[in-house]
Amino acid sequence: MKLNRRSFLASSAAATAVMGTPMILRAQPTEYVVASSLPLTGPFATAGQLVSPAMKMFEALVNEDGGIGGVPIRTTIEDSGYVPATALANYQRALATEPNLVMYYGDSTGFMKLVAPELKGENATLMGSTSFASDLANPAENPYQYLPGPSYEDQVDILLQNIKDAGGSTVAFIFSNTEFGRDPIEHGKKKAEELGIKVVLEEATKAQGADIPTHVTKLAQSGAEHCILQGYVTGVWPQLIGGARQFGLPTQFHGTFWGMEKLIADRVTAEAGPFLEGYSGVMPYRYSYDQEEAPIYQRYAAFQKKAFAGTPLENYMPTWGLQSLISLNLGIEALRRVANKGLEITADRAAEELAGINDYDSGGFFGGPVSMVDNKIGTGRVYTYKAESGLFEPSSDWFTV
Amino acid sequence: MINANLKSTYAADERVLNNRYKQFFVYGMALLLAVFGAFANDYLILIACKMGLLLIAVVGINVLTGYTGLVSLGHAAFVAIGAYAVTIFNNLATGIIPAGIMPFFSIPFAVFLAAAIGVLVGLPSLRVKGLYLAVATLAANFIVIFLIEQDLFAPWTGGMTGLTTNAPNFFGWVLDSKREMFGMIAVIGFVSLLAAQNLIRTRVGRAFIAIRDRDYSAEILGISLLKYKLTSFAISAAYCGLSGALFAYFYARILPEQFELDLSLELVAALIVGGMGRTLGPVFGVIVIVMVPEVIKITFGAITGDAAGMAQLRAPLQEIAFGVLLVFFLLKEPLGINQIVDRMLRAANRWPFARG
Amino acid sequence: MGQFLQFAINGLMSGAIYALIAIGIVSVFKATKVVNFAHGYLIMFGAYFYFTFSVVVPGQPWAPEWLASWQPDWLVTAKEGLPMFSPMGAVLDWVSNLPRIVLGIIGALIANAIVGRIIERTLMRPLMGQSVFAMIMVTVGLISIMSGSAQLIWTADAANVPYIAPNMPIRFELFGTMIFIFGTDLVNMLIALILFGGIVAFVRFTKGGIAIRATAEDQSTAYSMGISVPKVFSRAWVLASTTGAIAGAILATRNGISPSLGLFGFSVLAIVLMGGLDSYVGVFIAAMAVGVMEAMTQWQLGGDWAEIVPYVAVLIVLIWRPHGLMGQKEVERI
Repeated sequence: MKLNRRSFLASSAAATAVMGTPMILRAQPTEYVVASSLPLTGPFATAGQLVSPAMKMFEALVNEDGGIGGVPIRTTIEDSGYVPATALANYQRALATEPNLVMYYGDSTGFMKLVAPELKGENATLMGSTSFASDLANPAENPYQYLPGPSYEDQVDILLQNIKDAGGSTVAFIFSNTEFGRDPIEHGKKKAEELGIKVVLEEATKAQGADIPTHVTKLAQSGAEHCILQGYVTGVWPQLIGGARQFGLPTQFHGTFWGMEKLIADRVTAEAGPFLEGYSGVMPYRYSYDQEEAPIYQRYAAFQKKAFAGTPLENYMPTWGLQSLISLNLGIEALRRVANKGLEITADRAAEELAGINDYDSGGFFGGPVSMVDNKIGTGRVYTYKAESGLFEPSSDWFTV
Repeated sequence: MINANLKSTYAADERVLNNRYKQFFVYGMALLLAVFGAFANDYLILIACKMGLLLIAVVGINVLTGYTGLVSLGHAAFVAIGAYAVTIFNNLATGIIPAGIMPFFSIPFAVFLAAAIGVLVGLPSLRVKGLYLAVATLAANFIVIFLIEQDLFAPWTGGMTGLTTNAPNFFGWVLDSKREMFGMIAVIGFVSLLAAQNLIRTRVGRAFIAIRDRDYSAEILGISLLKYKLTSFAISAAYCGLSGALFAYFYARILPEQFELDLSLELVAALIVGGMGRTLGPVFGVIVIVMVPEVIKITFGAITGDAAGMAQLRAPLQEIAFGVLLVFFLLKEPLGINQIVDRMLRAANRWPFARG
Repeated sequence: MGQFLQFAINGLMSGAIYALIAIGIVSVFKATKVVNFAHGYLIMFGAYFYFTFSVVVPGQPWAPEWLASWQPDWLVTAKEGLPMFSPMGAVLDWVSNLPRIVLGIIGALIANAIVGRIIERTLMRPLMGQSVFAMIMVTVGLISIMSGSAQLIWTADAANVPYIAPNMPIRFELFGTMIFIFGTDLVNMLIALILFGGIVAFVRFTKGGIAIRATAEDQSTAYSMGISVPKVFSRAWVLASTTGAIAGAILATRNGISPSLGLFGFSVLAIVLMGGLDSYVGVFIAAMAVGVMEAMTQWQLGGDWAEIVPYVAVLIVLIWRPHGLMGQKEVERI
C-alpha cells in the first residue's frame, strides 16, 4: 500500500489525537479491494456467471461483519474468458490501478501458474483461485497462492483408493486437453500402479466440443471397469457418460470437484434421462442443501433468498460458488489476523497468517475444524449422484489426506 | 508542405531521415517516449509495453505483407519461437555464459532461429500465393504450437504448462520492474522501426516492392523470387522472433496458447487498420488495436457501474469492435489510418487554399 | 482388423460431416470467388439456432406442451416397462422429441438463411472486384463479429439438444472385435451424403446451378448473358448458410454446443484447399480422407494429435499440388 499525502495527513492527525496510546502510526485506507477474474464468457461461462453473484454476497457479508479491521472491502469482477493471458492482464491492471488491492481471486489453473512467477516483491498479492492444481500448494516457492481444499492429485488418489476398495482392477483416465485436465494424470498413473490397478486408457479430449463418439468407442474397446473424468465443468462429461450408457457399457464414472455440480447433473437428467445414477466423485465441502450442521450455509441461504430471488441462486448455491466463498473467507481470515495485530497489510504478512490457520472453524463448509497444511486443506468426502432425488449423497465419511 | 527534397550531395541522398520534418518528428518522438517512460503511471506503462511488444511483430508483418505482398496468417508461430528460444537458450546456457551478458547471446539466437524457421515456412510461398499461402501459414501456426505442446519436447518447452522465464540482465542490471522493461522495449522498438524504414530504401526493399506490385514482372526484371521472397519471410520472422524474445522477458511465464491463431490475426488486423506498406502504419494500428478494448472497458465500466450481470457482455463487445474495425477499414479505408493522417496533414498544410 | 474397421467407419462418418460443411465454402467460392474463413462461425450460428428452436422455444411457458415432449397415449403405453437405453426406448424417445426437432431444424434453416443474406448484402457485395487479401481479411473480421455476437445473444453455454435421429446403439461383431456405432451418427452420415449429392446435382443440372457455374467462369460475361450476378451471389450464400445450419445441428448433437464449433471452419478450410477450391469431387475425397486419417490418428496417437491432421495434410498437398488434388490451375496474365 502506498502512503499518499492525504492518507498521511489523516493518519498523523489521528495519531496526534490518540497520543500516548501504543497505536502504531500507519496509513489506514478507506477501503480494501478484493479483485477477481472469472470466466464470464468462454467455455466455462456458466460457472463464472454463477460465481460472480457469490462474490457480491461475500462482499456484503464481510462488510456486515466489519470488513477487515473496520475497513470495508470492495470486490471487483473482471472477465477472463478462461484465457490465462487475459486473466494475467486483468491482474496487472488491478495492480496498477488499485493501490489498496489486498487479495486477488483467479480463475484457472493456467492463470495461477502463469502468474505465480510474477508474485514477487511489490507485485505480490494473496491469491485464491478456482483451481485445485497440485502445483499451487507450494508454500516454499510460492506462499501467496493457496487451495481451499485438497489438490486434484489428492482427489484422484482418493478415487483410486475407492476403486481399489470396491475391487476394481482397471481404470481409464479421460481428461480435457488443458492444464486443468492434465494436472493430476501423471500422478494418477503412478498411484494406480502402486495400488495394482491397470490403466487401460489415457484419453485427452477437447475441453468443449469434443468428438464424443470416438472417445466413447475408445473407452468401450478398452473395457475399463472404472473411468476417472478430469478437467470438465459443464460440458463433455455428461455427454461421455450418456454415450457410454447408450452403448450399454457397465463402466463406472468418477469425477473430481469441478465435475460434481448438481445444477449440471440435474439439467442433464431433465434433458436426457437418469443416466447419471451412480456417478460418484470427491467433494471437499458440504452441498448447500446440507445446512443442518452448517450455520454459515443458513446465513448464506437467508441472504440468497433475499438478494437472488428469481435466479437459480435463490435456493441453492452451486459448489463452484461455495468453493469461491470458502477460498475468499480463508483469505479474509488471514487478512483480518494481520489487521488485528495492528500491522499494515502486506502480501507477506497475509501469507504468513494464512499458513498459520489451524483448527479453523469454517462454519460448516467442511466436516470439522480444518488446518492449512502446505497451503491446502486436505479434507473432503465422496458423494454419489442419485437421479431420483436429484441430490449428490455422501457415500463416505469425511477423510483427511 | 514539402513538395520535394533538395539534395545537393550524395550523402544527403542516402540519409534515412531525408528532410527536416522527418528529423524533427523522429527526435521529438524519442524525447516524448523518454518523458513518458519517466512520468507515466503504472497502468500507462503496462499498456505501452504491450503496444511495444505488438509493434515489433507488426513491423515484421509489414515487411512481409505490406512491402512484399505475401499474406501470412501464422506469424504468431514466430513470436512463439522467439519467446521459447530465448528462454530455452537461457536455461541451457546458464553457467556457461555469465548472466550479465546473456541477453546479448540469447536474443540474437532467438532472432536467428525465428528467421531460419521463417525461411522454412516461406518455402510454400514459391509455389502458392494469396489464399493458399494464407492457409499454409495458418496451418504452420497450428503445427508449431502443437509441437511446442508435445510431451516429446516438454523437457525443454514445458509442454502445455508453459515455461518460467527469467528477467533480462544487462551487465548486472536486472530489469525487474515494468518501467525498466518499458525502457528496453521502447529502445528496441524504436530501433526496429528505423531499421524497417531503412530497409525499404535499399536494393532489397525495392525488390520486395517490385514483387508486391507484380511478382512475374519482377522476375522478368531480374529479381530472383526465390531469394527475395525467402528473405522477406526471414526478415519478418526475425522481427516477430525479436518481439517474442522481449515478450518472454516481459512476462514471467509463457504458455503455448498465448501464441495461437488469435495473435496472428491480431497482428494482421493491426497492420490493416494502421496502413499497409507504410512505416508508421504499424504504429497507428497497434495503438488502435490495443486502445480500443481498453477504451471499451473503461467506458463500459463507467456506464454500467461495474454491475455484476453486465461484465459478461464486455468481452463479446470488444471482440465485435475488433471485427468491425477490421471490416470498416478494409471496406472504407484500405490504406489505413496512415492515409487518414496523411490526408489531414496535407489539408492542414494547404489550408486555406485547398482541402483534401 | 476389427479395430481398424471401427475407426475407419468412425472416420467416414465424420468425413461426411466435413464434406457437408465444405459444400458451403466451395459454393460461395464458386459463385463469388470469396473464400469464407468465417464459415465455421456460420455453422456455430446454425447450431445455436437449432438449440434455440428445439430447446429454448419449447421450454417457454407460452409454448404448447406437445411441442416440448409429445406424449400421445399409444406412445406412453409403448414406453411402459421398457428398460433404459433399450433400442426401442431410444426410438420412442425420439418420437416424442420429434415436434421440437422439426421446429429446431426448420427454425435453424430459416434463421441461418437470413443471417447468410445479411452477411452477403452488407459485407460481401461491396467486396466485388477487391483483392484476395481484402476478401480474406473481411471474412476474418466477420469471425470476430460473429463469435462476439453469439456470446452476446446466447450468454452461457447451452444444454443438450435432441438428437436428429433415434440414437440407438448398433453393435455387432466383426473379426472378433465388437464394433460400436451410434444410430444417429449413421443417419447423420446419410443426411450429409444425400445433401452433398443433391447439391452437386443441383449445380450440375439445374438452371440456377448453371448460372452459378457461369458466374464462376467469368463474371462479366455472365452478366452480359443476362444472368443476374447479385442473385447468384445471394443464392450461393443462402445455400452455404442452410447447409451450414444442418451441419451445425448435427455437430450440436454430436459434440455439444459451444463457441468452439467455429474452429471446425478452419480445419474444413484446410480440407477444401486440399481437395481443390472449385472441385466438389476433390473436396469430397479430401473430406473423407481427412476424416479417416483423423480417426486413425485418434486411435493410434490420441486425441490431441488428431487436431492437426488436416493442417499437416494440407501443407503436404499444397507443396505437392499447389491448387489442391483436383483444383483448376489459375491462369495469370502479366
